[in-house]
Amino acid sequence: MNTPIDAILRLILLLGLVGGGVHTLPAHAAGDAAKGADVFAEECAECHSPKEGKNKKGPSAFGVVGRKAGTVADFNYSDGLKASGITWSPDKIDAYVTAPKKVVPGGRMKYEGLEDAKARADLIAYLATLR
Amino acid sequence: MTALVLAAGALLGASPAAQAVPSFARQTGQECAACHVGAYGPQLTPYGIKFKISGYADSDGKSGKVPISGMLVGAYTRTDKAQDEPPADHTHRNNNVTLDEASLFLAGRLADNLGAFVQLTYDGVEQATALDHADVRYARTFDIAGKDTVFGVSVNNNPGVQDPFNTMTVWGFPYTGPAVGFGGGDAATLINGGLEHRVLGASAYAFWDNHLYAELGTYRALSPAVQSRTGQGRADDMGKLGGNTAYWRLAWMEDLRKQVFQAGVFGFKTNVQPDRQGGPSNKYDDLGVDASYQFLGTRKHIGTLYTSYIRERQSNDAAFSAEEAARRRGTLNEFKINASYYYDQTWGLSLGRFLTTGKRDSMLYGDGYANGSPNTSGYVLQADWTPWGKEGSWGAPWANLRLGLQYTLFDKFNGASHNYDGTGRDAKDNNTLFLFAWTSF
Repeated sequence: MNTPIDAILRLILLLGLVGGGVHTLPAHAAGDAAKGADVFAEECAECHSPKEGKNKKGPSAFGVVGRKAGTVADFNYSDGLKASGITWSPDKIDAYVTAPKKVVPGGRMKYEGLEDAKARADLIAYLATLR
Repeated sequence: MTALVLAAGALLGASPAAQAVPSFARQTGQECAACHVGAYGPQLTPYGIKFKISGYADSDGKSGKVPISGMLVGAYTRTDKAQDEPPADHTHRNNNVTLDEASLFLAGRLADNLGAFVQLTYDGVEQATALDHADVRYARTFDIAGKDTVFGVSVNNNPGVQDPFNTMTVWGFPYTGPAVGFGGGDAATLINGGLEHRVLGASAYAFWDNHLYAELGTYRALSPAVQSRTGQGRADDMGKLGGNTAYWRLAWMEDLRKQVFQAGVFGFKTNVQPDRQGGPSNKYDDLGVDASYQFLGTRKHIGTLYTSYIRERQSNDAAFSAEEAARRRGTLNEFKINASYYYDQTWGLSLGRFLTTGKRDSMLYGDGYANGSPNTSGYVLQADWTPWGKEGSWGAPWANLRLGLQYTLFDKFNGASHNYDGTGRDAKDNNTLFLFAWTSF
């Protein structure tokens, strides 16, 4: 269900303002956050919690959009991720979720990647609501 | 004493398998629901399958985790007709309230790439303590042609306990069952519990690209002295296993995250020499095929389907010589299929069908059987409630609980529907209501 908050967040994404940078309109900007919640449950929730401060096998996904990689407190990151220098902009998340090992070669995330671009766009729209 | 009788003991009288350990959750930072369908063991999700294959050693990287867990199973058991004799000392002919199991586990990471699942169980029905399932394994992941490949070694005490899929008997449905009622007929294949906890084996396995699982191993019988020390006792020692004993397994898994398919084959072959000093042996050649499907979706609605078929060829030379078998050759076949549905990882409904058939033998299947036939068939229905074990659950990751109602119906038992034992007892008289409370911490 689309809520006013979803609409506002989608607008923010469309404007490319998430993450502190000004972006051209990315292909994933039209993601549906409600559908993205399902994608998150299907693909990510085993290892990532949407709750703030709740780390599982992976760090909390709360506030991930715009976050500098390797900065969640009390989580044991791989050296590869800590050294990556990545800030999780929507584009970077999109690339990482597509092929994790290409973006962070020394990372520990055991995920083969999500090929469906629409599903990734929905997922990123959902992640943007986690704040 | 034939191995068949030992297998029967595993089905009736001994506590059935029931395992779930929060020490894994504490070690990994995951909730029970990540590894287990319905948020309770031992029914594994693909994540749980990979955790087991990886040697129980995966963790959240934090120190100070203690790989110790405990478990209790309490039950009320009622059969449709009271049994002729109490099923065990300190029990009644019917309507028994029992502490089926109180277990202590060494379960989790022992060192890098090394993990264990070792269970010590106090059987409240038999009022005795013994080493239960034990599986210690070492596993490492290598890159083979650009694909992650896990290579591992398991040392264990029960053929099949090391298997990561829930189709073989050790970890198959129903995941707990009546210790003082009836969960199946008396005849069972050797791989179906006939050797459990009285052998020690080692196997090597590989898991390629999260798809292909291959394993090969062998077993030896524990000496009577060791069986006595581990709590199994000497009385039911099955004898020596031949040097040709082989356990093997091949399976293919397709993990699509929203759904999972698996299909495989497995086998176990051995000679059992009842007289350890020498003499003839009974030979068993078990061959199984299995398949499973899980619909996982968003984990709000989960559906599973498991099936297996085992064909056992027997050469009962020792039993024939001892006048415990009327024929030298025999066969025994076991078919199982079950489906389950879980809502919100909390409310579960399961239905299973089991069917055992085999070649008649008036001596091997003598007292307590009709017409020398091992045939038994029936259904298992279960409804259960697992309130914890999810993200944010009360007690996580320290405690979990499952309350269940299970009903086993027989349309045939030990060879007949009516008067199977010659005293007028019918198969349906063994229909068993089993109410259980199963907690782990």
